Amino acid sequence: MSKNENTKIKKSFNDYWNSYSTVAILILMLIVFSILKPSAFANVPNYIKIIEQSSIYILLACGEFFAIILGGIDLSVSSVMALSGVVCAKLMVAGWHPVAAVIVGIFLFGGLVGAINGMLINITKLPPFIITLGSQSIFRGLTYILSEARSVSGISTGFTQFVGGKIGGVIPMPIIIALIVAGLVIFFTTKTKAGRNIYALGGNPQSAYFAGITTNTHQLVCFIISGICASLAGMVNIARLSSAEPNAGTGFETYAIAAVIIGGTSFFGGQGTVWKVVIGGIIIGTINNGLNMVGLSSYYQQMAMGALIIMAVTLDRFFGASKNK
Amino acid sequence: MNSLVEMRNITKKFPGVTALKGVNFDVRPGEVHILLGENGAGKSTLMKMLSGAYEPTEGTMVANGKEFPRFTPKISQDNGISIIYQELSVINEISIQENIFVGKLLTKRIAGIPVVDNASMRRRTEEVLREIGLDRKPNVPVGQLSISEKQMVEIAKAVAFDAKVIIMDEPTTSLTTEEINHLYEIIDNLKKQGKGIVFISHKLDEVLTVGDRVTILKDGAYVGTYPISEMDEDRLVKLMVGREIKGSHLKNPNKDYGDEIIFEAKNITRKDNKVRNVSFQLRKGEILGFSGLVGAGRTELMEAIFGARPIKSGEMYLYGRKLDIKSTYQAVKEGIVLVTENRRETGFSPYHSIKQNMVQAKGLKEAKFNGLSGLIHEKEEQAVAEEQAEAMQVKCASLSQIITELSGGNQQKVILGRWMASNPELIIFDEPTKGIDVGTKSEIYKLMRRLAEQGKGVLVVSSEMPELLSTCDRIIVMNDGQSRGEFDNADATEEELVRVATMA
Repeated sequence: MSKNENTKIKKSFNDYWNSYSTVAILILMLIVFSILKPSAFANVPNYIKIIEQSSIYILLACGEFFAIILGGIDLSVSSVMALSGVVCAKLMVAGWHPVAAVIVGIFLFGGLVGAINGMLINITKLPPFIITLGSQSIFRGLTYILSEARSVSGISTGFTQFVGGKIGGVIPMPIIIALIVAGLVIFFTTKTKAGRNIYALGGNPQSAYFAGITTNTHQLVCFIISGICASLAGMVNIARLSSAEPNAGTGFETYAIAAVIIGGTSFFGGQGTVWKVVIGGIIIGTINNGLNMVGLSSYYQQMAMGALIIMAVTLDRFFGASKNK
Repeated sequence: MNSLVEMRNITKKFPGVTALKGVNFDVRPGEVHILLGENGAGKSTLMKMLSGAYEPTEGTMVANGKEFPRFTPKISQDNGISIIYQELSVINEISIQENIFVGKLLTKRIAGIPVVDNASMRRRTEEVLREIGLDRKPNVPVGQLSISEKQMVEIAKAVAFDAKVIIMDEPTTSLTTEEINHLYEIIDNLKKQGKGIVFISHKLDEVLTVGDRVTILKDGAYVGTYPISEMDEDRLVKLMVGREIKGSHLKNPNKDYGDEIIFEAKNITRKDNKVRNVSFQLRKGEILGFSGLVGAGRTELMEAIFGARPIKSGEMYLYGRKLDIKSTYQAVKEGIVLVTENRRETGFSPYHSIKQNMVQAKGLKEAKFNGLSGLIHEKEEQAVAEEQAEAMQVKCASLSQIITELSGGNQQKVILGRWMASNPELIIFDEPTKGIDVGTKSEIYKLMRRLAEQGKGVLVVSSEMPELLSTCDRIIVMNDGQSRGEFDNADATEEELVRVATMA
């Protein structure tokens, strides 16, 4: 019954869809907005601006990717982002220094918060949806308590100028940070054994366990990475705004999930590519930027985002690799 | 006496296999007709034609004197055929009464609007429960009942809708002795009311206790129908297993084992008690087989050795060294690997290529920090995968093919290659030839022998007795989570293995 003889496998529309759907959506969007607003939209400074605006989505999506590749989800990324931002700002306002130490501290803090999610999931065996739905609320509440529900200003200017600044006056630092993180994540998922084990775990947890993979450990690592990425997003966010808002990033988990899904990651786990998720993040930024220029309010942007998620998953259902599920 | 239902000369073919050949089966009022046969003999397939789930390829179905080419679920229901499956189909969240009437709720009209008639249903449920002797209120949620009580709810359901033929698929599997006796009483009662009972079983003692007639199937073939009064255990076993012995005994069973013990298990008891107090030794150079019925605890024992399920007590030694294995990862590190029974569910990583599957175990064995460390080296992986694909003779277009594109036999070879690449010390094969073509089967047998000759430990679990007899030097029979007997290849016969496996 095997198809051993057919050495060359024919490329079908499905295969092309699997490989290029995300890029196609981005190009389509660029074309549409360029036609609608040729002068304001289609120019290099605006493209750089789009990517800069996307950097937070990219960071969140890079973390979210790991939750989804496991077949799970992390709804708490937006809260972790706000919490990390507020903690970071508070530490700096309290005079902690050097700034580099604070940055490393927040990085670790994000990992710790992610580890809490991961451990709760491992111990309770509940779906990540439930745990992170709860922790989303807990972390957001904690953010309000720590900030007394007020925005925290007085962040060290060294920090805002560095993290929120531009390299050579042209390329914004958030883009650099997002690209470095994306690069590391791509390396981790494609070049390390742990990365591949995570795909195996998402593809079939039972098989993975019976192949000798430490499923709990790998799951924990996934959520730690998600936490770290969210904390980086939090720091980039406060640097860009020069203050930490306790309600920052509300609803951003939707954007992160959208970026991952539009990036062709299977919602059932086990299949996905990080560079496409990065494109997915840029698509989210493009929608925001483009609709702004067209003059539609953020309410329409929300609708567009929702429609796009449903569309992307529907198309994946029909053409994608998960259609056989 | 007229039969309630009759199946004449039934043949059922599936693509590539004939599941049943020329089977005759009928049920008379007031009798218990036993359907006996080993795993895979075709008992369930036959019953699925009674329920209307399957269509016979050849043969005639008769109900109430009328002939049908096949039963549909509707015909089956209309003729009062009711099946109680081994996996009970009660709904735990709702009450006994609602379970009985599920899908057929009684209604009454209030102001012309049909509403659920709880009072009538309660009355009818009370009647039926009294009839079968289940002392429970109709409004108790089924989730609160014991397994035997749930089974009685299923019987009550059949009785409530006036079933004429009640099929019970291995109904005593999860019951205690007391509960079994109660079930027998219920069955007796149903018999007196003129109902026909089909009782599927492979426990010989209960067959003899409860049955009136017995139909025996063997590998899908019809052996015959006999009155129980003419039967005893020996005759049943002979008929079930057949006189001719398929395959053959091992030509030169390895009897000159050294004193060297590769692996030893002492009093292994699983946390969930599915395996209790199992001890055995595996000597260098031999292949040790595990026989028994499905659910006898063989797979469960292997899972425990492999660290996939926790043990409560017991010790394991590999080359005299005490093992402390709490996860599959630790087992792989120690050199213990398990080729699982179910490739799709616990075998391979479905989205990974042949190569990625092949290098998985070696990668884990070399990794540190719970398997987290280590980079992927493409060239090395390619070399490892090529070597194993060659050794296992995997037929594929390229090693980057996704594993799900391969046939079952080739998938199994990839899994074997994956474990071999990790250079294991003890290899456990759980139903290694299930769903695999004949050619690959013999390659797998050769591999087992080769491994044993190389001094590796080999354990084999199989439900196919000819397979065990032709590959294993020694065979342990498990029954009810325990090891009940041990045979040297020369002393083992199918009859003897079945006897021990079905002993109460």
